[in-house]
Amino acid sequence: MIEVAGLHHDYGGQPSLVDIAFTLAPGEKVVLLGSNGCGKSTLLKILDGLIAAKSGRVDYDGQAVSPSTLKQPDWRRRFRREVALLFQNPDVMLFNPSVYDEIAFGPRQMELDDVDARVRHWAGLVGVTEFLDRPPFTLSGGEKQRVALAALLALEPRLLLLDEPAAALDPRATGWLVDFLADLPVTLLVTTHNLGLAPELGQRALVLGEDHRLLHDGDIEPFLADTERLIAANLAHVHRHRHGGLEHRHWHGHDWQ
Amino acid sequence: MPSAALERAKFLVWLAAIVAASWLSDAAWLAAGLGLVLLAAGRAVFRLTRRALLATLAFTGTVSLTYAAWFWWQQDALPLDWLVTVNLRVLLMALLTFLFIERTNLFLALGFSRRLSFLLVLAVSQSLALRRTLDEFRQGLDSRALVRVGLRDRYRAAARAAGWLFDRALANAHESARAMQSRGMFR
Repeated sequence: MIEVAGLHHDYGGQPSLVDIAFTLAPGEKVVLLGSNGCGKSTLLKILDGLIAAKSGRVDYDGQAVSPSTLKQPDWRRRFRREVALLFQNPDVMLFNPSVYDEIAFGPRQMELDDVDARVRHWAGLVGVTEFLDRPPFTLSGGEKQRVALAALLALEPRLLLLDEPAAALDPRATGWLVDFLADLPVTLLVTTHNLGLAPELGQRALVLGEDHRLLHDGDIEPFLADTERLIAANLAHVHRHRHGGLEHRHWHGHDWQ
Repeated sequence: MPSAALERAKFLVWLAAIVAASWLSDAAWLAAGLGLVLLAAGRAVFRLTRRALLATLAFTGTVSLTYAAWFWWQQDALPLDWLVTVNLRVLLMALLTFLFIERTNLFLALGFSRRLSFLLVLAVSQSLALRRTLDEFRQGLDSRALVRVGLRDRYRAAARAAGWLFDRALANAHESARAMQSRGMFR
C-alpha cells in the first residue's frame, strides 16, 4: 500500500529523517515509535503529501506521493479520500462553524448522497453526537480529538495516519481509543512515545532513533524487551528509587504521557 | 561574522530613518526615501515590496478608504495629497523595517541592552512558534481538501487560525512575562 525508499529530510540543514525505507501492507496496524524530535510527525506529513521530502520516494499504491503530484485533481481526490492524517493538535484541522459541519466537510466535497447519515453514524461511534450543534473550538482537547477523528473517518479512508492520538486524552478516553482503533478495518500507522500504549496499538513497530534513522522495523515485543535498543532510541530512562532506607537505580521503558 | 558595532550602527540608522519618515510630510521627500530603500534592497526588492504591501494593505486600505469617503462626503473632493503622503509613509516605514530585519543580526544590534535582548528573545521565540503553528493550520486544511477549497472555507480556516493564534499568543505572552518576572525581570 505504502512504499518508502531512501527518504531524507532536513529543516535548515538540521536532519529530520535519514535514509528511511519501509513498506506498509493493507490491513497492517503499525506503531511508529521514537523520542520527541526524532522526526515522527515529519514522516507522517511526508506520507500524507503535505511536505516534500528533500530526497527519496513515497509511493501509495504504486503512485508517487508529494505536494507536486497531488496537484493533479483526480489523484488528489482519490489520495485525500483514502489517506487521512490526524494531527497531534486537532485544533489545526477544525475550522467549521459546528461539529456537524466539521464531520460533513469531507463527504460534502465528495458530493455524497448520504452526508447526514455518515455524520450521525461516525459522531455516534466516536461519542460526539451531543456536540453536533456546537462550534468545535468550544470543546475540550479530548473532544476535539474525537471530532477530528470522526471528520476523517466519515470518508472511510483506507489508511489512517495518527500523530500521538492519545496525547490529549485522559486514561478512560485512551482506553476507548485503543479498543476503537483495534476494531477499525483500516491500515493504521500510529505515532507514540508511550511504550505502555504501543503494543496495544499494533504488533509491528517502526522505531526512529535520535540520529533520525530507522532503528527497528519488526515485531514490537522483542524491541520493547531489548533495554539496550530502548536506551539507544531514548525510549528508556534511569532514575533513583527509594524504598525505606534503601536506594537503587535501574532502567524503565518510557510509558508516561 | 558581523560585528556588534556594525549591527548597532545599522540599528541606529534604521531608528533615525524611521523617525525621519514619521516627521516628513512632503510626498516628494517620502518618494525619494522610498526610491533609496528600493535601491538598497537590491535583488530582494520585489520580495520585500510584496511583503511590505501585504503587511500594510489591511491598515492603509481601511484607513485610506474611510478617510477618502468621509472627505468626499464633507467636501465633494478626494484628499489626494493626504492619501499619497500617508500611504508612501507607511510603505516606506514597512520596507525600511523589513530591509533592516533582513540585513541585521538583531541579537547583536540589541546586545547593548539586557532588557531589549530579553524582549527580542521573547518576540522571536513567540513568532517562530506561531509560524510553525500557522504552517500546521495550512497543512490541516490541505490534508482535508479533496478538491480545491472554496473561498468561504479558506476564510473560515484563516479566521479560526487567526483566533487560535491570537488566544495562544496572549496566553504565551502572559506565561512568558510571569516566567521572566519570576527570574527578576520587569521590576
